[in-house]
Amino acid sequence: MSAAADSRSVVLERIRAATRNWDRAADRSAPVHAEPSPNYIRRGAMTAEARLERMAERLREYDAEVVECAPETLVAAIETQLTASGRRSFVVPEGLPKDWLAQRFDWKIDDGLTSDAIEQTEGVVTACFCAVAESGTIVLHHGPMEGRRIITLLPDWHLCVLRESQIVETLPEYFDRCAQPPQFITPGLVTSQLVTPRLVTWISGPSATADIEMTRIKGVHGPRFLHVVIVRD
Amino acid sequence: MSAVPARALSAVVDVDARHAPNGHPTGNSNGHSPNPVLDPVYALPFPKAALPVLRDSQLRKNVAHAIDVIQAKRARLVEEKSDWQALRAAGARIKDEALEHLDTYLVQFDERCTAAGGHVHWAADAGEARRIILEILREEKAEEVIKIKSMTATEIQLNPFLESAGIRTYETDLAEIILQLGEGEPSHIVVPALHVNRSQVREIFARRMGIENLSDDPRALTAAARSYLRQKFLKVPAAIGGANFLIAETGAVAVVESEGNGRMCLTLPSTLITLAGIEKILPRYNDLEVMLQILARSATGERMNPYTSLWTGVQPGDGPQKFHVILLDNGRSPILGRRTERQTLRCIRCAACMNTCPVYRQTGGHAYGSVYPGPIGAILTPQLMQMKHAQSLPFASSLCGACYEVCPVKINIPEVLIDLRAQVTDLERKGLARFFDPMYLGMRAAKLAFSSAGLFHAAQKIARVGMRFFTGKDGWIHSLPGMGAKWTQTRDLRGLPKQPFHAWWTDRPDRTDRNDQNDRQKRAAR
Repeated sequence: MSAAADSRSVVLERIRAATRNWDRAADRSAPVHAEPSPNYIRRGAMTAEARLERMAERLREYDAEVVECAPETLVAAIETQLTASGRRSFVVPEGLPKDWLAQRFDWKIDDGLTSDAIEQTEGVVTACFCAVAESGTIVLHHGPMEGRRIITLLPDWHLCVLRESQIVETLPEYFDRCAQPPQFITPGLVTSQLVTPRLVTWISGPSATADIEMTRIKGVHGPRFLHVVIVRD
Repeated sequence: MSAVPARALSAVVDVDARHAPNGHPTGNSNGHSPNPVLDPVYALPFPKAALPVLRDSQLRKNVAHAIDVIQAKRARLVEEKSDWQALRAAGARIKDEALEHLDTYLVQFDERCTAAGGHVHWAADAGEARRIILEILREEKAEEVIKIKSMTATEIQLNPFLESAGIRTYETDLAEIILQLGEGEPSHIVVPALHVNRSQVREIFARRMGIENLSDDPRALTAAARSYLRQKFLKVPAAIGGANFLIAETGAVAVVESEGNGRMCLTLPSTLITLAGIEKILPRYNDLEVMLQILARSATGERMNPYTSLWTGVQPGDGPQKFHVILLDNGRSPILGRRTERQTLRCIRCAACMNTCPVYRQTGGHAYGSVYPGPIGAILTPQLMQMKHAQSLPFASSLCGACYEVCPVKINIPEVLIDLRAQVTDLERKGLARFFDPMYLGMRAAKLAFSSAGLFHAAQKIARVGMRFFTGKDGWIHSLPGMGAKWTQTRDLRGLPKQPFHAWWTDRPDRTDRNDQNDRQKRAAR
């Protein structure tokens, strides 16, 4: 323990010794600092409709399956997707509305299932925290409707429900949304005002690799199939 | 004569590049290119290490194909970002801020990560980091460990160390599996096996996984890797990975990946060990809004990579319940002390510099003798080695500046290269080499000749007579002996003209001022 504590002070002392004599004034006039303050695009200019279109387009580019529905047809839309998948057993997070779970499938509610039990399921259904249209990214904060990280990882097939109001255009807009009071967040999620999340997974299309001759192959270890139901609300 | 030091030109014929001077056998049994030495302490100087690659046309084809694909994708996606230059500037500024207050941010990270249930360790060098990792694994009684691709782990040569301590390591990134099973070395920091083609992968997988009738279709090869690893993910109790970003504000760690092997390692085992260089720190969570936009575009030519994971310490009921972070210095902190070189530590390991580098394109990564190849490796490796090793790397560049142009955090690599060249030369000038090295002897002779008109003209006359033996009928020198061979081996040299400019000017028949010579003498007398 003392050796570890020593290394901490050794490393910190090396850093302080190296930075002590920085000519900070001179640095500020160096080219990088001479540029204007951050002027990258933080907010997009798209209409809600265009945002939704862009999100769907990007997801399709990732080979994800995208369907749209109205709030009142959501349950039916989910069921159609489940049926079309030809799969029977699905895992879901504890907080997912029970009326989403059509009766003729086998549902496993994740109340702390073992990894082996989750591995046995054929798919997973979740909501999400937010989506970024520019890059077709789905953001999970692993709240009650998004579930533990493992349930969106082991099953080969992932159906994600995304509300239109959860779609932002740019990545910085997602970060703005993190700092907002939780009315934007998935209904049912109780959380404090401070929403800097402890767990985040940004998902941009299904698992993929290009390690062999740069040929893009879908589905290495994560889910191979991503389905997204966008609810127009 | 060019001012390029002899080192950069020393691609001499008589090098037996198949054997490193330290006795490391560099050839392997299957007849492919010799295995490179990626330890800068033992690696051959760049020009010598590059020779076997330059002769391996298959390897060069593989490398060129891979980087052509990435380059084209990156170019398309950078083109569509109208605020790309602003993002680069913001990326550079964020990293500079982190480096300027590195001690404060590291302490903050330590506190917040610890408060969130993580254990933070500090390692002054590679040996200490290895010992800490081994201790943790011994405590957990882990005999096997799964690994997320981490250049930092390769930097500290973790796998051979753990294997010698009786702990089996399983690489889980597809490219790293190819290298581990094929006993190869990484040649790129993002796509480490880009020098291996599909039929070579097929051969490795069929042999090591015992699969007969394996096709060389990348889909089949990827599926083979998936089933090879599935049970490991579910059973192995500990994982080791790197970090793309450490967030000082929250104590969180972020890992950027494509395949999902990272998520498996971050989620399934009971113990997770993250090894991160101290320069990986970012001040705030929101800084990711810049970093995540520039990293994937630069690295793989994607708007976002398929999976980015962020976690903060330990989350009860979700993922590993024991989490360790090792903050590794290993030669990084002294780099902060030099104003020009400091920017090296901004690097976010995207590899855009090597993808665009005309030298890397020809030599691939192994010639750099380090886990960090390409332009960033040429500046990072010698600095991590405190300029004691890898001194040939700063010369492994044409200074064309393409690397600076693509760098998403605006590291002016050519500027650093030039400064490091000066450091190498200064070190050499203090050593005995200056009395023997033909370059230094030549430079001193040149200094003498250039300091007096008489000596200069005499030297010209001698050279003209001497060179006549080597100059062909076409006026070109095709082959020189000794030192000169380093030039003529790869290019011809123009023979000296019959008459130097000075003599031609004096004797030119169409002179208008016949008294020119007299005038000059008068002026000189005054």
